[in-house]
Amino acid sequence: MSKKVTDIIIVETSAIIYEGLFGILTNTGHSFSIHPAENLLELERLNLKNRAEIILINPVLIQNQEKHFLSLKRELAGARWIGITYSLIDPRVSSELDDVVNINDSPEKITTTIHRQLLAEQPAGNGIQQQEVLTERETDVLKLLVSGNANKEIADKLNISTHTVISHRKNISQKTGIKSVSGLTIYAVINNIIKLDNYRE
Amino acid sequence: MHHTYRMFVTPEMKMADIITGNPYLLVMLEHLGINMEVREKSVEQICDENRISTELFLTIANMFSGFKPSSETKYSYGTVQTIIKYLENSHRYYLKEKYPQIRHYIGEINKVNTHAEILMIGTFFDKYFREVTEHLDYENEVVFPYVLSLNEILAGKASGNETDSYSVTEYREHHDDIEEKLADLKSLLIKYMPQKDDQQIRRQLLLCLFELEYDLKIHSMIEESLLIPVVEEMERLAGGER
Repeated sequence: MSKKVTDIIIVETSAIIYEGLFGILTNTGHSFSIHPAENLLELERLNLKNRAEIILINPVLIQNQEKHFLSLKRELAGARWIGITYSLIDPRVSSELDDVVNINDSPEKITTTIHRQLLAEQPAGNGIQQQEVLTERETDVLKLLVSGNANKEIADKLNISTHTVISHRKNISQKTGIKSVSGLTIYAVINNIIKLDNYRE
Repeated sequence: MHHTYRMFVTPEMKMADIITGNPYLLVMLEHLGINMEVREKSVEQICDENRISTELFLTIANMFSGFKPSSETKYSYGTVQTIIKYLENSHRYYLKEKYPQIRHYIGEINKVNTHAEILMIGTFFDKYFREVTEHLDYENEVVFPYVLSLNEILAGKASGNETDSYSVTEYREHHDDIEEKLADLKSLLIKYMPQKDDQQIRRQLLLCLFELEYDLKIHSMIEESLLIPVVEEMERLAGGER
């Protein structure tokens, strides 16, 4: 998914650490959009599903909350988790993290760690697709969608479940950045998926 | 959200400094009906002069800097008046300034780029604008008068039961998302629309869309995290009185 701004969440209770990381990250000249959270619950409430790319977290906030952490990890698929370590870190927690930054690291080292994680290969099947070209099936769904079919009708015509139609539609919107049917209609015309003659208001 | 402008605004800061720090606050001042001539005055001084709660001002100003409101805004007569004024003024800004500007740019692009798709963009926008107008009119004509009359009743300046017929819960449901199609328009223009001699106008159009999007984002944040909770509190208070 091409996007200029990288969403980073900092889960940390210490204001000094938060502001410090904030300063270091904003001074890199990269477009980071930084969101604060003080605990896992706040992280969940930020509602950045499919958007958060980097989550910097104080591992202390994971301890005794492993279940919640693991469920968030599944939910925020595609995000890379980087621990913020003050000193030592529980090895059981560190094995669940992708990387760590230490508060004694230089700003350069911290940004390098983050970039390494941004460039790291995404785990498979996480919804973030490098390819923006629609698959054949998605194109079929799009065609039917912009010619005025409801999800149910598309499902019947393609012999798939409504649930599958919805998941195709989600992927289409994610790849194109367009959600409304009228917007997708224009997309379909530009990309010769439907002919303009077939398009009537 | 624009995080370059991340300045936490406090009461003793000079108004001129916070504007320099985040020029978008100029639009905020306009929505609040605050004169742009701020001289050396502090945020608090200007709020007092304009009879605007400093706390509310800070909450909104800090939303512009990307901070979520930290605590629930408590009901007061003045707070409600200010929030409604802000929302009404921003509606005017959308309907009389931003949307006509966007329409103008699309028309200009049409003059040099005659691709059929550009015409479709025009149609898309006109339809979208009708939806937006409908939504904003609904707020202007139903929601805001309801809130204002409830406010008068709570202040003891009016009595009446006409408010029984409505509740902010309905509003919450009615609260559809105008931002979605705006984002679609941006995606189409940035990623897919065939270009022909229209780079400059298109850039102007896109920057205008970004400005509108920024303001709309704050607008719905104000509705959701300030207006709705305050009105719910008002309804509880009014319910207790009856």
